Amino acid sequence: MASLRDIRKHISSIKSIKQITYAMKMVAVARIKKAQNSMLSARPFAIKMDSVIADLYSEMQEADFKKSSVHDLFENENDAKSVGLVLITSDKGLCGSFNANLIKKTLGFIRANKDKKIYFISVGKKGRDFVRRIKRIDLEFYYEMFGIFPKVGYIHSNLVSENVIKMYREKKLSRVVFIYNEFKSMIQQNLVEQEFLPLEKHILSRAAGASGISDFDFEPGKMRLMENLIPRHISSHIYRILLESQAAELSARMNAMESASKNAAEIIDELTLKMNKTRQAMITTELNEIVSGASALES
Amino acid sequence: MKKIKLTVLTPDRTLLSSKETESITIPAFEGEMGILPGHAPYIVQLKEGILRYKAGGKEDFMAIFWGFARIKGDEVTVLTEMGELVKEINEEKARQEYQRAKDAMNMKGADLDLDSAQASIKKAIVRIKVAELRRKRNI
Repeated sequence: MASLRDIRKHISSIKSIKQITYAMKMVAVARIKKAQNSMLSARPFAIKMDSVIADLYSEMQEADFKKSSVHDLFENENDAKSVGLVLITSDKGLCGSFNANLIKKTLGFIRANKDKKIYFISVGKKGRDFVRRIKRIDLEFYYEMFGIFPKVGYIHSNLVSENVIKMYREKKLSRVVFIYNEFKSMIQQNLVEQEFLPLEKHILSRAAGASGISDFDFEPGKMRLMENLIPRHISSHIYRILLESQAAELSARMNAMESASKNAAEIIDELTLKMNKTRQAMITTELNEIVSGASALES
Repeated sequence: MKKIKLTVLTPDRTLLSSKETESITIPAFEGEMGILPGHAPYIVQLKEGILRYKAGGKEDFMAIFWGFARIKGDEVTVLTEMGELVKEINEEKARQEYQRAKDAMNMKGADLDLDSAQASIKKAIVRIKVAELRRKRNI
């Protein structure tokens, strides 16, 4: 049986663990508010961007569009020998199953594309470290970025999107897939595997019917505008993904740390009970010894 | 009098939301462009510069750095990569930035990123211009 001293030591060490997990939870709670706000304030830009693109597209002839240099982002005839994968994980651990789920999904993707060459972009340290360790697959690192959470800026998404587009064009990929966590609510994250490139045509045609009859004039020409707009559209899309992932990471961490604190509290209760029992037993034994000693003297 | 609604958005925030204005001037790709109510539908690329507008007889302005504007009906939507309100601009800092970027260009170090140096010079120039305009208008 453990001595009183051992139990006391154990309790104090668990108490300090609880303090740490509790502090981490509070930090996540404070940051999540901010992350949610930045998600909300990024929304109007993305929506307007879509509607501007739709307006522009509704003014363009299909043939014109086919000639523009961004056309390859929508359709391509590249053979399916290679694919691109963008994995968005966190930099730090201690956030429950956040990264584990992503990694499971990534493994599934890699297995499904065993016969193809995979070009890999990683955002976040955890994903990079994990993929580095996998052996015997045809995978090449194209670009990596870390240390951006929890302060994602538009600059970061610009960099990522630049590299995604470059990779797509340079390596003649048939498609680029994003794997990331989406923020659903404070207690839930959604795992998403999304075909990112080639872009879906529906962003173009969605509002085309609705926007109707305004005949736009353009400066500096439809084609140039489209070529400048599409990369920005992609980057605002990636910005949204990064923000989602950031908020999801924080909420995952919050939950993980909350249950860790709860578990710590439970263990402390148990140990306290055990400590008291041990103490009681010790006192009883001592009393017993005194009493029996006294009676031995009397007789 | 007819009004135009001006909305200015950056990827991470909303600078102006459906503000009713009488006239707007934007730094269009090929020079400044004035917009009055009843303007024809237009989509235009913007460069760095000062966006000015008149609301309630009072002129106001802000710095924007690249982007797009769409004029449609009585609504003007400006999507910019980066925008700064007048009160956010620090003239002293802008001048320092300008100097630093200029120095970097003159030194022509091996690792000089010409594009980014030029971009920061342009940005600093706009900021300084806004600050000067602010002083003139005494806001």
